[in-house]
Amino acid sequence: MAVNGGAGLDILHIEDDARAASDLQLLVKATGDRVTWEGTGEGGVRAAGMHDFDVIILDRMLPDTDGLKVVGKIRASGIATPVLMLSALGRTIDRAEGLDAGADDYLAKPFEATELLARLRALKRRASGQAHNAVIIHGDFECHLKARTAFRAGKHLALSPKEFELFRYLMEHAGDVVTREMLLRDVWNMGFDPQTNVVDVNIGRLRRKLEDGFDCPALETVRGTGYRLLDGK
Amino acid sequence: MASNTGSERVALLDSIFTRLIAWSIAVCTAVVLLLGLMVTVQFNQLTENSLRRAVELDLAALAVVYQQDGKDELLRRIDSRLTFVGDQTNPPYILLVDAAGAPIAGNLAEWPSLSADRGEAGSIDLPNGEAAYARTVRLSPDLQLLAAREARWDRTLLSRLLLAFAAAGLFVILAVALGGQVTARRLSARVARINNAFRDPDETRLSALDPGRRDRDEIGELARHSMAALARMKALVIAHRETSDKIAHEIRTPLMHLDTRIQRLLDCAEEEEWITSLDAARDEIRHVIALLESLLDIAASEARRGDVTGLPPVDLSDLARSMGELYAASAEESGHDLALDIADGVTLPGDGMALSRMIANLLDNAFKYVPCGGAVTLSLRPGPILTVADDGPGVSPEDRPHIFERFRRGRDSGSGNGTGLGLALVRAIAERHGLEVLLMPGGKGATFVVRRPSP
Repeated sequence: MAVNGGAGLDILHIEDDARAASDLQLLVKATGDRVTWEGTGEGGVRAAGMHDFDVIILDRMLPDTDGLKVVGKIRASGIATPVLMLSALGRTIDRAEGLDAGADDYLAKPFEATELLARLRALKRRASGQAHNAVIIHGDFECHLKARTAFRAGKHLALSPKEFELFRYLMEHAGDVVTREMLLRDVWNMGFDPQTNVVDVNIGRLRRKLEDGFDCPALETVRGTGYRLLDGK
Repeated sequence: MASNTGSERVALLDSIFTRLIAWSIAVCTAVVLLLGLMVTVQFNQLTENSLRRAVELDLAALAVVYQQDGKDELLRRIDSRLTFVGDQTNPPYILLVDAAGAPIAGNLAEWPSLSADRGEAGSIDLPNGEAAYARTVRLSPDLQLLAAREARWDRTLLSRLLLAFAAAGLFVILAVALGGQVTARRLSARVARINNAFRDPDETRLSALDPGRRDRDEIGELARHSMAALARMKALVIAHRETSDKIAHEIRTPLMHLDTRIQRLLDCAEEEEWITSLDAARDEIRHVIALLESLLDIAASEARRGDVTGLPPVDLSDLARSMGELYAASAEESGHDLALDIADGVTLPGDGMALSRMIANLLDNAFKYVPCGGAVTLSLRPGPILTVADDGPGVSPEDRPHIFERFRRGRDSGSGNGTGLGLALVRAIAERHGLEVLLMPGGKGATFVVRRPSP
């Protein structure tokens, strides 16, 4: 798996389910990230204050307290570490509550391991200010956020406004796999997967525009999971 | 059902309290006027009687003087009677004439048309233009006497009395208006608290409703009942939410573990057959989750049917356009003709994501049943009236009555994918927003319309 920046993430995992915790341990072993596990909300808040983590993964349903309150406590003690809330409650209203409480992202169980990793990296990038740059560069691709223009190897890509949004999202997660669910939720603001194959078709159109006149593929389809933007070289 | 109660407030003129105050003022004014009229009549009767008695007394006194002391003494007494007239009395008039009617003494110049022989009494006109009550008597064959009183003082008294009465009346009306206003404002505030609590029953509004022990009146009772009803409603909503959250949690967690196991197997699977089968298993897990979520969404939508309190305004035109854009590429790919006809600025209070889902499900449904080459139209008109029409095979008469029921699928649904909840969810979301969804009769293909129910 291509990891941006090389160094792994320092992750605090607040989760009461030991099995879910060991699943995550297994998952990050392959990616070179480090996970510190806390089984209670209180312990989690304490750990967050003692060490400067890159991201915090927080389960919403904890035995001693509510995950929403834990975020509140973490934020109240002045810790700005990005928090990804993880929950079996995956409906729109639950998600809105999590974000309102101070979480930076919300992911419903069960999730794709790739999606979790992509989101964690996106959070880290956002926190370190990379996403606020006016231009995102990935390999041969350039995305000018203010001018809303896209280039590949200096050649202008004529994208429709929605295609630009899609391209920009892929650029922000460059190198990571983005899932269909991520695209639906973050690009089209849809918390569900329609029966019509809208994502595949729209990605297909973007792919044609990105690859028109070039020999190298721009997008890789990850079977059963999603897509990854390549560097185009 | 009133669909948009969110922003309605009672207009000032429609308020029962405004009407109550107006009525009180009207009744008060009528009562004051009636009392004034009665007092005037009574006063006039009383003063007329006393005027008559005063004239009779004057006349009798002078007659006695003439009987006892003769004509000279009478003349002297008439003079002195007319000289000493007090300030605060009704001015007296006396006239003594001879047989030919020529004045001998007194302050009137001419005998009026009253007959002294019959001792007539009545109203006479004075030289100064005023009227006076007069009475006559014949003292001797060549002497007749007249005494009269002007009602000037009585009139002054009456006008002063009426003035005082008007002032008092005005004061009473003002007091009623002011008192009514203060009371009405208090009552109105209490009723408004109840209405606010119903409009958006949050914690602060519910506790504002608590009347304490002071208010034992009707509104206090209403507030107590409202509070109990709202609290029960809130508890039910919370219990419903907790139950469905619990169900979601209890089913999703084992599915997640199952999914993780399969994923781990996939990572070390080599044979293509295995990989296909494991992918299919993961798809099925996702299908079960989608099913569960659709069911929970339907239940949540149905629990809040028509209740749009606290929902932010959503630009339906934007939503419909963005869904149209999203589906346009797929339509082209599958050989369908998707036409958009969307009016600008159509908004309604709602849940944006649910409304997106409603439109998406209607479009999914159309694309599923319309064969390649067919046309689908998504249109939006103010109202809102959202229409998804196609020129496909339409819905068979047997399926029509049940098309919005759960787990109901069209007979010719070849592929068999989908949850069978799509249109049920469309109906639940529409009704949650105070709308209805209809399958229009007749015509070619199927036409689904989402709109406000006609009253």
